[in-house]
Amino acid sequence: MVSVKFDSVTKILGQYRAIDNLTLDIRAGELFFLLGPSGCGKTTALRSAAGFYTPDEGRILFNGEDQTRVPPHKRNTGMVFQNYALWPHMDVRSNVGYGLKMRHVTEAEKRKRVNHALEIVQMQAYAARMPNQLSGGQQQRVALARALVIEPDVVLLDEPLSNLDAKLRVEMRTQIKDIHRKIGRTMIYVTHDQAEALSMADRIAVMRRGRLVQCGTPQDLYRLPQSAFVAQFIGGTNLLHGTLADAGELLTVETPSGIVRAKNGVTGMQPGAAVFCSVRPESVRVKLAEVSSNAPPCDGTNELMGEVLSIMYLGDSEEYSLRLADSTIVRAVEYNPVTRKAQIGDRLALQFDAKAVVVLPQEDLSDSLAAAQ
Amino acid sequence: MLYPLGYVFSNAFFTADGFSLVFMKLLFSSPNYTIILANSVNLGLTVTLLTTLLSLPLALLLVRYNFPGKGVLNGLILIPMVLPPFVGAIGMRHLLARFGSVNLLLLDLGVINQPIDWLGGGSFWGVVILEALHLYPIMYLNLAAALANIDPSLEEAAKNMGASGFRLFRTVTFPLMLPGYFAGAIIVFIWAFTELGTPLVFEFREVVAVQIFSMVTDLHQNPMGYAFVVAVIVLTLFFFYLSKRILGGGRYEMLGRGHVVSAVRTASVRVTVLAYVLVLGVSALALIPHAGVLLTSITSRWFLSVLPTEYTTQFYKEVFSQDLTLLSIKNSLLLSSLSTIIDVVLGVSIAYLLARKRVPGRGVLDALAMLPLALPGLVMAFGYIAAFSATPLDARINPVPLLIIAYAVRRLPYMVRAAYAGFQQSSVALEEAAMNLGASPIKTLYQITFPLIFANLVAGAVLAFSFAMLEVSDSLILALKEQNYPITKAIYALLGRIADGPYIASAMGMLGLLLLAGSLFVAGRFFGRRMGELFRA
Repeated sequence: MVSVKFDSVTKILGQYRAIDNLTLDIRAGELFFLLGPSGCGKTTALRSAAGFYTPDEGRILFNGEDQTRVPPHKRNTGMVFQNYALWPHMDVRSNVGYGLKMRHVTEAEKRKRVNHALEIVQMQAYAARMPNQLSGGQQQRVALARALVIEPDVVLLDEPLSNLDAKLRVEMRTQIKDIHRKIGRTMIYVTHDQAEALSMADRIAVMRRGRLVQCGTPQDLYRLPQSAFVAQFIGGTNLLHGTLADAGELLTVETPSGIVRAKNGVTGMQPGAAVFCSVRPESVRVKLAEVSSNAPPCDGTNELMGEVLSIMYLGDSEEYSLRLADSTIVRAVEYNPVTRKAQIGDRLALQFDAKAVVVLPQEDLSDSLAAAQ
Repeated sequence: MLYPLGYVFSNAFFTADGFSLVFMKLLFSSPNYTIILANSVNLGLTVTLLTTLLSLPLALLLVRYNFPGKGVLNGLILIPMVLPPFVGAIGMRHLLARFGSVNLLLLDLGVINQPIDWLGGGSFWGVVILEALHLYPIMYLNLAAALANIDPSLEEAAKNMGASGFRLFRTVTFPLMLPGYFAGAIIVFIWAFTELGTPLVFEFREVVAVQIFSMVTDLHQNPMGYAFVVAVIVLTLFFFYLSKRILGGGRYEMLGRGHVVSAVRTASVRVTVLAYVLVLGVSALALIPHAGVLLTSITSRWFLSVLPTEYTTQFYKEVFSQDLTLLSIKNSLLLSSLSTIIDVVLGVSIAYLLARKRVPGRGVLDALAMLPLALPGLVMAFGYIAAFSATPLDARINPVPLLIIAYAVRRLPYMVRAAYAGFQQSSVALEEAAMNLGASPIKTLYQITFPLIFANLVAGAVLAFSFAMLEVSDSLILALKEQNYPITKAIYALLGRIADGPYIASAMGMLGLLLLAGSLFVAGRFFGRRMGELFRA
């Protein structure tokens, strides 16, 4: 098993820095995700690992060995391309066997290994087909088999599921994860789909504008985002803007709609800083506002008042959209809804625990909002 | 390629005493020369106008309407393009002679009682008609593409404002087609302006092309040849510039492709009949000269009758028994094969650099490779023979190397375009996938790239080969000794022989036509529907 290290890598494409001083430590055997909106540099990073780009600065190391100047065909990586890149003039067997032919594997051995690879992706029955006789999902599996059969040091996947329909995409997540567990090789997986990353990854690196924003396990990123961008991009969140009033054990933020207290926050912020309070929709409970709500929130529970704008019934959940006093829109999700609690136009109390709030420095989020659509 | 051009320029402007404009002055002041220039420009403009009138209705009908048999008609329109007018002229001469078929037919029918001198008046109209019938497919391809590219919603918007019929066409459709129209018009104009074969066969000598051709023999004594060539280049560039200016510095961007509703309508019976009559009529007209060639080639007696009275295959046998013809076929095969090989190697390399590598000077390379499309073959041929005289490449000693180079350079753009299209269509990811799996760049090229663009390479090579086989300007100018005559020059030489010459020439012309038609069919098979793109500017 092989570890991959990006050591301060910069790649300039045309006018701008496609990746900018990127440092990553990818552990051997890990299913590692590069996640970010389009144009964030994740594909450039992957292609640099494959050797299709030579970094302008920095080094790329496999197991500590410098690969920066090694040409693509000598790197022993297996790449799955976004559009699969199956050669239309070769049948499935020749496509999958091509890498073994380049490695001068004997004919008998090649046959055995190609069969095995096709078996892993459940495509044995299609060995004699031409690529244009396969469906999108089948082509995807052949592309995967072709990358795996050479027993690469690193498997590189460039948005492998983006061309599949929604249902198949979810099925393939499980399959790829199974394959990863079976073969136990280092995999680097590029995607802009945060659900894909959360459900599959051992660890995720979130990228933005060529830079690494945050790297960690799916739980880390979801529970303790270190920036509003990550909070917004992964899972979606409510961002209440305000001013940090007190940075003690419990952080206190003054928002136009009321005081919000939070357990978590980025370290080193000073009182007076402009901040966002990030609250996930599923952490917000809605209550009919019978009681007067101007009382300050008691220990650990925040309460704000809002007017119902819309209610969306989704079967397993109900999604409320509410407007706060300062016109900020807040989403709240209630699971297992039995009876409808409110009508459009009602005033409701929104309650959420201080534990569920993360205080983050304010920043420009125009690109992440577009990406979240 | 550039050296001969530079040589021509320097000879046109420099005398023994240094820089001088005396030859250019002579060219534009002597009435003899100005008439020749005016004739050529006139010829080019008339042909362009005629092709426009022929192909505009065709394009409108075939692009905008759907009717049964549309594909066949589309193919039929393109046929005349592949038949060299040089050969057709032979047949035309026979049909339109004072006692040729047309006059005899009209006499028989009592329409006229005196034979009309069709070819009189310097044969200007004979040349015009023949070239227009040859070149209208090029115009058609450009117009049809321009028309198909117009966003239908632009026309719908005009209709919404109340425009319809001819007003709609004049105010919206035609202005939007203009860029495509000028692209086609400039090709047609330059082609007609510098065409050598047709006026030569019609003995219409007062045009620039024929003048340059006859000045090749004494190019050391008479610098007027250089002056003429420079005039041709300058005029060509001028018209190129003019067409670009009229375009307003570029193409119209088609904005906002929202919901595009197809503008193709199903044709009513009347429109269908109209389309058939037009296409069949124009095609028949365009094929008449070649039918004439066919008849001439299999005729043993054809005097004072509308159709031949006796038929024979004797002349086809003669083609394969006479030294002149047999040798010319061998020469052409050799020259064309070698030049095609050069084209394939050079063309693929250039296309690869253009499509796959970011090399410095890319734009210059692209422009250079495409230059032969804009430069008349005549100019290049003249440049070659002048620039390399008294060197080991002197055409008067051994024209073979120069012929090969000239053929290769002339057809290089087609090869580059064909290969470039192939590189563009096959995704780079397919090559990267191979390298990723351990194939070296060279192996990738052989095992992945070439197989993928094979069809394009074959199509390009077949075109290059067959055009070289029937190349006119270079052959007539460069092949100066009988032992080196290629097919076209042999045909020209045969036409000058009194007795059986024209008949054998016709037979050879027919064989050439068959070869060209066959190879274009093969190329079309490989290239599919995109072949038209090769002939667009």
